[in-house]
This record gives sequence, structure tokens and C-alpha cells, in this order.
Amino acid sequence: MGAQLFTFGAAFLGSAVESVEALTIVLAVGLTRGWRAPLYGTVAALVSLAVLVVVFGQLIVQRVPESSLKLVIGTLLLLFGLRWLHKAVLRSAGVVAMHDEEHAYQQTVSELQGAVSRRDWVGFVIAFKGVFLEGIEVVFIVVAVGGTSKYFPEAVAGGLLAMLVVAIVGVVVRKPLARVPENTLKYAVGIILTSLGTFWAAEGMGASWPFDFVSIFVLVAAYLGASQLAVMLVRRRPVMA
Amino acid sequence: MRFLKSAGSEVIGLFVADWVQTAVIVAIVAAAWYAISGLHAMPLPVLVGLILLLAAQHVWFAVAEARRDARTKPLPSPSPR
Repeated sequence: MGAQLFTFGAAFLGSAVESVEALTIVLAVGLTRGWRAPLYGTVAALVSLAVLVVVFGQLIVQRVPESSLKLVIGTLLLLFGLRWLHKAVLRSAGVVAMHDEEHAYQQTVSELQGAVSRRDWVGFVIAFKGVFLEGIEVVFIVVAVGGTSKYFPEAVAGGLLAMLVVAIVGVVVRKPLARVPENTLKYAVGIILTSLGTFWAAEGMGASWPFDFVSIFVLVAAYLGASQLAVMLVRRRPVMA
Repeated sequence: MRFLKSAGSEVIGLFVADWVQTAVIVAIVAAAWYAISGLHAMPLPVLVGLILLLAAQHVWFAVAEARRDARTKPLPSPSPR
């Protein structure tokens, strides 16, 4: 039950962060050029992503031996999680600017306003591209988290629910979700994905963890401690003269 | 074509931000895999080593990037008197 909840939660949080970014693009297109084309683009992108999940999910779960699957996907998840965590540490320490949905929204709007004379397919393509590219990360999170843990339906449910919640909030609010603590969420998801990646990669090597799934919490604590140490050291770095 | 290119770089970008860091992480995982599967070492010390090395490289590369960033950022212009 704990493992199922953890899988669902990891897929939900990771997918929610990416969905917020996709929503920003769709809102910018919809509010600037009308809703029909970006909605078609969004639906087309979602269908393409669903096909990817079904095809890769089935292939991975049915064809690849479990230990190889855990080692390869665990390592990829580790790389993916550490990339998010690395960025989150630099953002927390003030080295890299915080991700700002309001800024991303304004940038997309100004790009679109320069292209008003074009036909409506511009709205379709921009919405499709935004949702598809952000959605690739959702697909990876869902397939990696669900395929390796044998809780694929829970991971798919987490990803779908996240997209649904973000879409509903987006329709209600009708402006970019700038108040979502996106950087904090990315920090948390980075730690969770890095821990899951380490856990599965080690299982794929043939090692068994003491206390099985519970040891993920030790991994979470270790990576949280390391990233806090990194933030502290980065903040203390000497200013170059 | 441009879309395919950006989709391709997006997929690579999911896992790679810094090629050196990626190589270090893969090397750490490969070393742990070899120790457990090839050398049949006791798993627990290998797992502890794996976590410590992964955590250490995370701290190292974050601090290194911050230093690089501090070196490349232009100095603030002198304030007018």
C-alpha cells in the first residue's frame, strides 16, 4: 500500500509541475488567438502522448527482463532526478533565476502578437509543441515510475489526475498559475525521483535493500541532506573580485 | 524537421545537463553494478558507497557550476558618484 501511494504521489507531483508549464503555453495561445486552434493542438498532443505511454509502457513491462529494466530505468530516473535537483539547488541558492510562469506567459504572448497576420495553424502548432514537449517528461515519469515498480496503473492515474487538476484550475483561473510553488515542487520531486532511481538501479544490480521499500525514506533523507549542504556551500561561495 | 530536432534535444535534455556529470553518475552506477554482480561484494557496503558517491557528486557539481557562474558573470558597473 505504501509503495502504491509513493508511486502515485511521485507520478502526480512530477506530472503536475510539467502540466503547469504546458498550461501556461496553452493559456497564452488561447487568450491571444482564440481557443479553437490551441485546444485542437492540445488534444492532438495528448493523444500522441497517450500512444507513447501505451506503446512504451506495454513494451517495457512485457518484453524487458525485470532486473535489466530496473537497472536501466533506475539509472535514467537517477539522471533525470539529479538534473532537477541540481537546478533546484542552484535556484534555491540564487545562482539561477526562479522559474517564473508569469514571465513565460508574457514571452509567449509577445511572440504570438508578432505573428497575428499568420493563419490559425500557428496557434495549433504552438499549443501542440508546448503540450507535447512538456508532456514527454510526464510520459517518462509515468513510464519509469510505474513500469519499474509494477504499479503502472497507479502511476498512470497519478499522471492523469495531475493533468486534470491543473487543467481544471487553469480553466477556472484563466491566467498562468504563477502562485504554484513550482521550484519547491521541482526540488521535492527531484529528491523523490533520485531516491527511486537509486533504489531501482541497485535492485537491478542484484542488491536487496534492508527493510525493502522503507529504505527509500533513508535515500530521501540522504539526498535532502546533500542538497541542503550544496545550497549552503553555494551561498557561502566567495564573491569573485 | 525543426520540431523533431527540438523533440530529440528535449529527450536528451531530460537526462543530460552536463555531460561530465552524466559520465560521473553512470561511472558510479557501473562501478556499483560491477562490485555486486562481477565481484560478488557484500551489497550493503556497496549500497552505502553508492549513495555517498552520488550525494557527493551532486554537491560537487552544484558548487562547481556556481563557481563557474560567478567567474563568467560580468562585474557590476561602478556606481555613479
